[in-house]
Amino acid sequence: MAMLNSQPARSSLQVAPLAIQKTRSNGSSVADSSDPYSQSQITPPATPNGSQEDLYTQAQEHVQMEIEMANEPPVFHNFLRAFYPFQPENIVNDSTVTLPLNEGDVVLVHSIHTNGWADGTLLVNGARGWLPTNYCEAYDPDEMRSLLKALLNFWDMMRATCGNDSEMFGNQEFMKGIIAGVRYLLERTHCLTRESPLVQQYDGLRRNRKSLLSELSCLVKTARRLHDAQRMGNVEEVNEVVDEMILRAFKIVTKGVRFLDVLEEERRPLVPTIAAITAAEDNQVPPTPPAESSNFDAGYGPAADAGSRAEDDGETAERAQYAASDVARSLTPAENRLSSVCTHITNARRLSQVGPLQIHRPSSTLSHRLSIAGPSPLAHSQNLVSEKLNACHDIFLSHLGSFIGRLHLQSQSRPSLARAVKQSATSGGQLLVVVDVVCTHNAAVIDVLEQSRAAMYDRIQELVHTARDILANATLDMEEDVIVPQDNGRLLGAATGCVKATGECVAKTKWVIERIGDFEFEFDNGSLGVNFDLSALTLVREEKDSKYCPSESASIAGSTVSETPTASTAISVTSSAPVPSVVLSIDKPLPDVPQVTSPITEQPVSHPLPSNSRPQSLPMRDRASSVVQTASYNRADLPPLPRISTASLPMDTYSPLEPSSTNGSDFRSFRSESMTASSSGSGSTYLSRHSESSILSQTSTRATTPDSTQAPRNQPSFSDLSTTETTSQAEEVDDVESRLIEKTFAHELVFNKEGQVTGGSLPALVERLTTHESTPDAMFVSTFYLTFRLFCTPTALTQALVERFDYVGESSTIAAPVRLRTYNVFKGWLESHWREETDREALDLIKEFAQVKLAAILPSAAKRLLDLAEKVSVADGALVPRFVSSMGKSGATGTHYIPAETPVPAPAMTRSQTNALTAWKAGGSCPSILDFDPLEIARQLTIKQMSLFCSILPEELLGSKWTKLAGVGAPNVKAMSAFTTGLSNLVADTILQYDEVKKRALVIKHWIKIASQCSSLHNYDALMAITCALTDTSIKRLKMTWDTVSVKRKEMLKSLQSTVDFNQNYKALRARLHDRVPPCLPFLGMFLTDLTFVDVGNPATKTSDTGLVVINFDKHTRTAKSIGELQRFQIPYRLTEVADLQEWLSSQIDRVREKDKAGANTQASHYRKSLLLEPREVQQLRTPVEPPTPAVTGSGMFAWMRSNSGTTTATQSLSAPL
Amino acid sequence: MPSRFTYQPVREYHVVVLGAAQFVHNEWIESYDPTIEDSYRTQVTVDGRQVVLEILDTAGTDQFVAMRDLFLKSGQGFLLVFSIASRSSFDELATLREEILRIKDDDTVPIVMVGNKADLEDQRAVDRARAFGVSRSWNAPYYESSARTRTNVDEVFIDLCRQLCRREDKLEEQARDELGQKMSDEAAKKRRRRRRRKEKCVIL
Repeated sequence: MAMLNSQPARSSLQVAPLAIQKTRSNGSSVADSSDPYSQSQITPPATPNGSQEDLYTQAQEHVQMEIEMANEPPVFHNFLRAFYPFQPENIVNDSTVTLPLNEGDVVLVHSIHTNGWADGTLLVNGARGWLPTNYCEAYDPDEMRSLLKALLNFWDMMRATCGNDSEMFGNQEFMKGIIAGVRYLLERTHCLTRESPLVQQYDGLRRNRKSLLSELSCLVKTARRLHDAQRMGNVEEVNEVVDEMILRAFKIVTKGVRFLDVLEEERRPLVPTIAAITAAEDNQVPPTPPAESSNFDAGYGPAADAGSRAEDDGETAERAQYAASDVARSLTPAENRLSSVCTHITNARRLSQVGPLQIHRPSSTLSHRLSIAGPSPLAHSQNLVSEKLNACHDIFLSHLGSFIGRLHLQSQSRPSLARAVKQSATSGGQLLVVVDVVCTHNAAVIDVLEQSRAAMYDRIQELVHTARDILANATLDMEEDVIVPQDNGRLLGAATGCVKATGECVAKTKWVIERIGDFEFEFDNGSLGVNFDLSALTLVREEKDSKYCPSESASIAGSTVSETPTASTAISVTSSAPVPSVVLSIDKPLPDVPQVTSPITEQPVSHPLPSNSRPQSLPMRDRASSVVQTASYNRADLPPLPRISTASLPMDTYSPLEPSSTNGSDFRSFRSESMTASSSGSGSTYLSRHSESSILSQTSTRATTPDSTQAPRNQPSFSDLSTTETTSQAEEVDDVESRLIEKTFAHELVFNKEGQVTGGSLPALVERLTTHESTPDAMFVSTFYLTFRLFCTPTALTQALVERFDYVGESSTIAAPVRLRTYNVFKGWLESHWREETDREALDLIKEFAQVKLAAILPSAAKRLLDLAEKVSVADGALVPRFVSSMGKSGATGTHYIPAETPVPAPAMTRSQTNALTAWKAGGSCPSILDFDPLEIARQLTIKQMSLFCSILPEELLGSKWTKLAGVGAPNVKAMSAFTTGLSNLVADTILQYDEVKKRALVIKHWIKIASQCSSLHNYDALMAITCALTDTSIKRLKMTWDTVSVKRKEMLKSLQSTVDFNQNYKALRARLHDRVPPCLPFLGMFLTDLTFVDVGNPATKTSDTGLVVINFDKHTRTAKSIGELQRFQIPYRLTEVADLQEWLSSQIDRVREKDKAGANTQASHYRKSLLLEPREVQQLRTPVEPPTPAVTGSGMFAWMRSNSGTTTATQSLSAPL
Repeated sequence: MPSRFTYQPVREYHVVVLGAAQFVHNEWIESYDPTIEDSYRTQVTVDGRQVVLEILDTAGTDQFVAMRDLFLKSGQGFLLVFSIASRSSFDELATLREEILRIKDDDTVPIVMVGNKADLEDQRAVDRARAFGVSRSWNAPYYESSARTRTNVDEVFIDLCRQLCRREDKLEEQARDELGQKMSDEAAKKRRRRRRRKEKCVIL
């Protein structure tokens, strides 16, 4: 997976693969923003390698935008959306890639450099590079949030994992997020089902929805392929598919964005509608669209500005190219204002996509919507040349786009490169044919087109040659099927050149078509395409035409349905079948005279709900395209553009022929309109003129392209990208649809980067628990069983499960497995996780469920469940015992740690020791600790403690139970900690019981030996208890005693202590436990501290990205992890128990405890005893300067190793030499 | 006095949180993971001086009575935390304080008294005046805080830090005076150099 690894992780900050110069704007004239985060600092974004000129001008014009943006807090947005096109001078050079932006492009941001450039990936084509953030705004609409978040997860997951990670890819889990995201989007927009009124009513919506779904189904299909490839172990293919999936996921989001845009545009005018309707009804004269001009102010500026600037730069052609390519790539109908500069068709297209409905006049809006809702009789015009042109161009661009995208991903295998180039070349050839057709149709235009056609041809040729060279070299030089990055650069350049040239050519062609009128042309399916020399590309160019034609026509048929914004046709809304029924002759342009003054045209509308539709469409329609743009551009936060003084530029740079003076002037007016618009962007001076001219210009559009011809042209270019696939995927789409319609709560889940659930609502968690796609993640399931009582009641869980059982019935495909899993959840609960005292409340519900619902579907399962339900209420403990392995990863193998054949060590007991114990039991004198072998004492302690430790149940560790109500809810935890404390007290007691210094020293030495043995046994609990006691103030202050203990023993104690040092949160101990193989007895207190902090430090709920408050499952996962870690050690030692010694030890500990009960606290009495034994005066005389606080003096022998641990404070180091 | 030194080492203190503990000092970490370093180390700036605190919160291990001695010994400054909603948690502080004084064998050990869960005003069981009275008798500042709403959490640590710093400054001065008496100038210089080296090591 070198190729994945070569891509930096999304979140990493050092992503910047590119050299960036931090440049301050010296061109910004406006500097009134004192905000340190002001964008004016960031802008103008310096193009990485000195192509500042281009940006420079732009940046100056955008100072005002920047000011607006400066007010935003510096939040990192994962997604940005370009509100303004950006065309860098040098797209590619050696080390940097600067991305061109089209308006509306959505960008996945990886990092943002302080200079304002962001390292991002364009969703539209998967290209990655630098882009200026000041051209973008944050993109995070509510409806999309879930999908965007899913994309992020998807991206992280795909990037982070290598293709061999079968665990992840095997279960297709990663697909769920995207699907749920799409579902969420559709649900939030009330477009979940095909039958939903919105979808039915608005065809634009319907199409976009369909396109979105088809893309989704592609992804699903690809994911399946991935699964297969993975099983086969074909790493290369896996990588390839992963790349494809990422691109597809991008596309899905892109389409989602587009869908939402369309919806927004449909929706926006609806609000002011009602009032307007009534007004309109009162006087049959439709009011002027309110606030239209201001709309222009707000929205039209940048586009026209761009246009005029384009001309200013004398770069019209280039701009046009981008405009045209935008046609293919654009996300929103109105996002690319540039297109209007060059092609009226684009305008018309925009118009049609949205319908002329943006007008703030609802009635007309409605009527229009109605009219376009059904299939238009005009729709049958797939042979229109303009249509063909668009289609071909779109296909070509989509090929190139994905090609470029793949280049950016740096993962080309030779075959796929060859394939991609071939596809591109083929589709390019087809496009050229269309251009040729236009040329031949009207000889007069040849001159205009010739040049750009030739340029385009050359570019494609160049691409093919480049690819060929590279492929040839690769065959010679390289072992692997991978194209080296340097070659990528060349290919990228060639491909970009293609895009450019093609855009230019298509733009001109469109412009020409605009002039000469559209016409129909029968394309010959057989011999389409200008052939490029593809022979070097070893693969056979397959079915170039079949790819082109059938799907093409299908897509056209599919999309034309909705296109016609014409009002004068009666259309049945209910018939949604995209079958064109009427063929109109459409090659005769019908000049549509602008009728600003008499705008009402009655429209026969055969809509079932026409009550409020008052046909008032005409003026609107005339202005439609501009209004459309306005509406779609009507963003409140759009920064006003500065006025520029380029209003009188030479226009129409490539219009050598003007068929009619009318057209010419119209065209001019259009031009001037765009400029006016730009100038009025920031001022009101030009308002009237502006609106006027805009109307005029739109009229001119109409004049050249009559309504009838518009229909086919209006085909949304972007959808073409997918509609080529649509036909073959009809069933797939249905499949996805049915999946989407499935009720799901998947969007209510929150994941972390590793793909683990960190939060979710109860239904969502239950759904996860009963997922049909895969066996549920073991950790998740055990966490759920263990902790669910912390976030819901048993009754609530039962209800959620039953509900899951019910609602999954709606989706026939997954109902069976999900229901079985639901049953399994119940079964697992009753068998192994039932806790009678709390869960009893749910038992009746479970029985009822088994008797009624489950019995109806899975009778035998119902019977089994009923059986279990009967048993749990009488059983003591789990019916099916929970194994240690039920939790935690390593626990599963826990039992294998000690091979059974390992011989159990013989007890280190002498006959006399045994006899002493027997005598003691018979009532004789009590032996002393000194009488026994330290090893055996350590062993018996360990056995005792481990049996306590093993009896700790996971439930006891939940919710800080052991700290509450004196630990009633956690008896075993309490017993364990009591034993540890008892042991400590025993140690102190045995030392302090002797009056002789030497005896005490002997006992200390003995305990040090025992501690050492405990350490060898990895009994850290006892080690902690003993070292604690030995360093307790009562013991440690016995200076005379310690002086008698040998240095060697003291050193030993020191090192023993360091292993159980609690400083830095038990860092040393954690390190020891980390890879410790059982048997091992960790210090329980450490787990208790961890669990307490997890419990207290993590809130019970969290807010998901969609604003939903969900269960903080992460908290429970952490709890379960900690418990799982504890359980990992619940494996008994293989040691022989010496019953008598055990008994003696217990009795000794009890004896000390009894003392405790009788008198005050043990520590205090030990301290008193200690003072008696060695009065404190002695010590104080020895350290006159410092109070006898060992931690501070640092001179004590057990000064907590502070000096060793590098935490010495100034005081200590200063006082140490004293 | 810090001002006498041009070079100020980053000081590091051990702070022990006691009482109705669970006074999570950095709850703002969205997912609290006790095993990461941030969960027990924190850096504060007191009077322009950087101080690193290593915080020992023994939450959850109250039952290990024998360990308390050890915990207390390791601390240089103490937070005595009780819940304003629990009278018993307040009453326990007296015992804890005695133990601190006994183990540290020092009546001037820096202590700050904290009435936590101040966000539960409606459940208040400990009178503010009463708590304040006790704190004055102990000569320890009193704060009411809320780990949940993060009210006064930083202030508590900063106050404790300030006490610790002043105390250390005083000790340093004392030590220097003694040094001056006991040693020749040359020896003092040497010692200081040594100390500086040591301090550098601390930073590294």
